Amino acid sequence: MFERDKAPDGDRLRREARVAGLRDFRMPSLEAVERRRLRLWLVTTIVLIVVAAGVMVVVRPTGSSSVLSEPMLRLAIFVLALAFCVYAIEKEFRLGRATRLLTDERVLTAALTNRLHEASLLLDAGRAMNAVLDLPELLETVLRSACDLLDANGGSIMLVEGDDLVTLCVRGRQEAVGARLRLGDGVAGHVALRREPVLIDGHVDPKEFPGLADRDPYVESAMSLPLIHRDEVVGVLNVNAAAGRGFTEYDLRAVAVFAEQAATAVANARLYEAERAHVAQLIELREAVGEAG
Amino acid sequence: MSPRKPRVLIVEDDPDLLVVLRVNLTAMGVEPILAGDGRTAISRIQAESPDAVVLDVMLPGIDGWSVLEDLHALGDPVPIVVCSAKKDVEDMDRARELGASGYVVKPFDIDRLVDAVMEAVGRNTDAEPGWQLGVQGTELA
Repeated sequence: MFERDKAPDGDRLRREARVAGLRDFRMPSLEAVERRRLRLWLVTTIVLIVVAAGVMVVVRPTGSSSVLSEPMLRLAIFVLALAFCVYAIEKEFRLGRATRLLTDERVLTAALTNRLHEASLLLDAGRAMNAVLDLPELLETVLRSACDLLDANGGSIMLVEGDDLVTLCVRGRQEAVGARLRLGDGVAGHVALRREPVLIDGHVDPKEFPGLADRDPYVESAMSLPLIHRDEVVGVLNVNAAAGRGFTEYDLRAVAVFAEQAATAVANARLYEAERAHVAQLIELREAVGEAG
Repeated sequence: MSPRKPRVLIVEDDPDLLVVLRVNLTAMGVEPILAGDGRTAISRIQAESPDAVVLDVMLPGIDGWSVLEDLHALGDPVPIVVCSAKKDVEDMDRARELGASGYVVKPFDIDRLVDAVMEAVGRNTDAEPGWQLGVQGTELA
């Protein structure tokens, strides 16, 4: 392997750019390289036109004598044109490589930016969830964050109560609040029972999801994820895509990380709620004992 | 004049995997080119005619399946090694039907993936198209 192959991409890029004539740039932009390529093609075309015109002038019988003989002139012009073509091809090759390297850099930058954006949204959502202990407020925050993360237009959160899932928070179809579903029934029940997320795109097969409500067979695009905390399913998060936007496995993966955080926050809020109820009970009991005494 | 290095397009949205694959393929004497989404992948395949493609199916926007379908519809013969977290036989069959030459289940051993890519790059076009299930014996269960 040549030493030049081991050079970091930045160095390779700068070297290609310098050789290609982009000397003023520490790190050339894709646009600068493309402009240079365009100029190169323009100059090549002009030079070739001039050469062609020169050849036509030389071969025209003028009758006048010249320092160089006609064949010599023709050869000189031909060599000149050939040399310029070689130069242009070499530059085009270098610029092509610079374009490829710059495109690669852009792809990497975009991937990193997307990852940072995703991490930032998850961090914000985590912060928002951890700042809330009141269960209804927390569920609202979780659902809003999930919709923001996925650019979704609605959804719901169902929590496990005994053998049922109860819809406690909804964005969109408000009449669904309070609806109960047996574990194993419909899409959400299936997700809670199987502990696996489901991505729905188009028609939902009632055979695959027994107990599916009649209104549900067609869902444009949606996903349903189990909320699992310490190996226990605490609920299900359902998110519906906005019209014309289909969820992909990529979205499912992004929101799965979020669902883990949400499950912990929900479990903590429920624990806090139970503790608060317990304290209230104790206070009531103490007051009752005080009154009796 | 030295022969042109084989060119491999890596289609992956994970920046860590992009870098790891690029470094490993460069070390194998391959010129890697990158795409972070399906749209860029299709345009780079058409513009740069790579010798092989490593295609992640889970991509933002146009996903890997759509890229495969588009290339299949265009009749592009470029060998494609599909990478997916899903190990269902249905998915593998789907990839094969859409013309993929290999299917690698994530998480994968990087050396095995590189081997699969190198095999795809070096495949004789006259030979019977090979089908690598889970990359040369990787356990799928």
